[in-house]
Amino acid sequence: MSQTQMLKGILDGCLLAIIQGKECYGYEMAERLSEYGFDAVSEGTIYPLLMRMQREGLVTSVRKDSTAGPKRKYYSLTEKGNQELKDFLTRWNQLEKSVNSIIKQETEGKGVENGTTSTIRSE
Amino acid sequence: MEQHLLSDQSRKFIDDLRLYLFSSGKNDHEINEIAEELEMHLIEAEMHGKSIEKIVGSSPKEYMINISNEMKTDYRQWAKYVPLIVISAMSFLILEDLLQGTLSYSILEIMGTVLFSLMFMGGVFIAFRYVASNQVSRLKEFLIMLLPIMISMIFFVVLIVVDSIYKTPVIDFNWFGSIVIGLIALSFVVLFSIWAKTAVMLVILIALHLPAFILSFTSFGEVPQLIIGMVITYILIGLYLFWELKKLKGKK
Repeated sequence: MSQTQMLKGILDGCLLAIIQGKECYGYEMAERLSEYGFDAVSEGTIYPLLMRMQREGLVTSVRKDSTAGPKRKYYSLTEKGNQELKDFLTRWNQLEKSVNSIIKQETEGKGVENGTTSTIRSE
Repeated sequence: MEQHLLSDQSRKFIDDLRLYLFSSGKNDHEINEIAEELEMHLIEAEMHGKSIEKIVGSSPKEYMINISNEMKTDYRQWAKYVPLIVISAMSFLILEDLLQGTLSYSILEIMGTVLFSLMFMGGVFIAFRYVASNQVSRLKEFLIMLLPIMISMIFFVVLIVVDSIYKTPVIDFNWFGSIVIGLIALSFVVLFSIWAKTAVMLVILIALHLPAFILSFTSFGEVPQLIIGMVITYILIGLYLFWELKKLKGKK
C-alpha cells in the first residue's frame, strides 16, 4: 500500500494542525508536509482537501499580497475547524494506540525483517 | 516584483484544467479561484526547481477529477449559458436562411433545430472534457473535436430529409417579420461572439455568403459564380484559421 493511500483521511487532520499553528497558504503547507516526511504525497493533493474543508466551514481563506508579488490565498481555522481538529486528535490517539499495540503484540520477536519494526515506538 | 513565467507544460495543465472544469459545468468564479491558486503554487514550485509531477502527481486526469469532485455543478450558470449557446447556434442558421429570402419553418424543423443545437453543444463539451483531461496529440485532438460536429451534421441532414417526407404545419414570415427576426438573430451572434471572445461565427457567416452575394451583381455566369464564390469562401476561412493559429503561437 502506498503512503498516499494510507494517508487518506489522516492528511485532513494534519492540514488542520498545520493551519492551527499558523495562518498559511497552499505552497507553505505542502513544504511543511514534506519537511515532516510526507514527501511521497504530490503537493497538489492538498487543494481538493482544502476546498472540501472550506465548504464544510472548517477553514476560511483570505487573499493577501505577498512580498514575492502575486496574491496568495491564506487559510485559517474556524471555530468549527478547531473542534474538528480536537476530534481528530482524539480519534488519532486511539487509532495510534491500537495499531501500535497490535504491531507490538503480534510481530514482536517474530523476526519481521522489512525494517518496519525499527519505527515502532515501545511504550 | 519578481516575475516568473510558467513552463509550457504547467501553462498547458492550467489551461486544460480550466477547460475541463468549464465543460463539467462548474462555476466560473470558483474555476478562476482554484486555477489561480494552483498557478501560484506551480510558479513557486518551478522557482524551486520542482517538476510538475511533484505537484499534480503522475496522472493529471485523476487530479482534475479530484478537483472537479470537490466543486458543485453550477446549474444556475448553465441556465444562462445553454439558452445563449442554443439561440446563437439557431441565429446562425436563421441568418443563413434569411439570405435566401423570407423565413418559413415547419414545426418539425424548429423542434429539430433546437434538438440539433443541444446535441451539438453537448457533443462539443464532452469532446472538450476528453481532450482537456487526456494527453492526446494535436491530430487526435482535432479528430475528436470533429466527431460531434460530424454527428450533428448527419442529424441535420436526416432532419431535412424527414422534414421533406412528413409534412408538419409551416409558419411563414413576411418580409417585415423576417427582417425583425434576422436582426434579433444577428444581435445574438454578435453577443455570443463578444461573450465567447471569438469572431469565428461572424467570419464563417461572412465567408459563406458575402462572396456569393457580391458575385450576384457581376456579369459572370451561374457556374463561374458558384466556383469563384466557393474558392473565395475557402480562402477566407483558411486565412482566418491561419491568423488564429499564428495568434495562438505568438502567445506561447
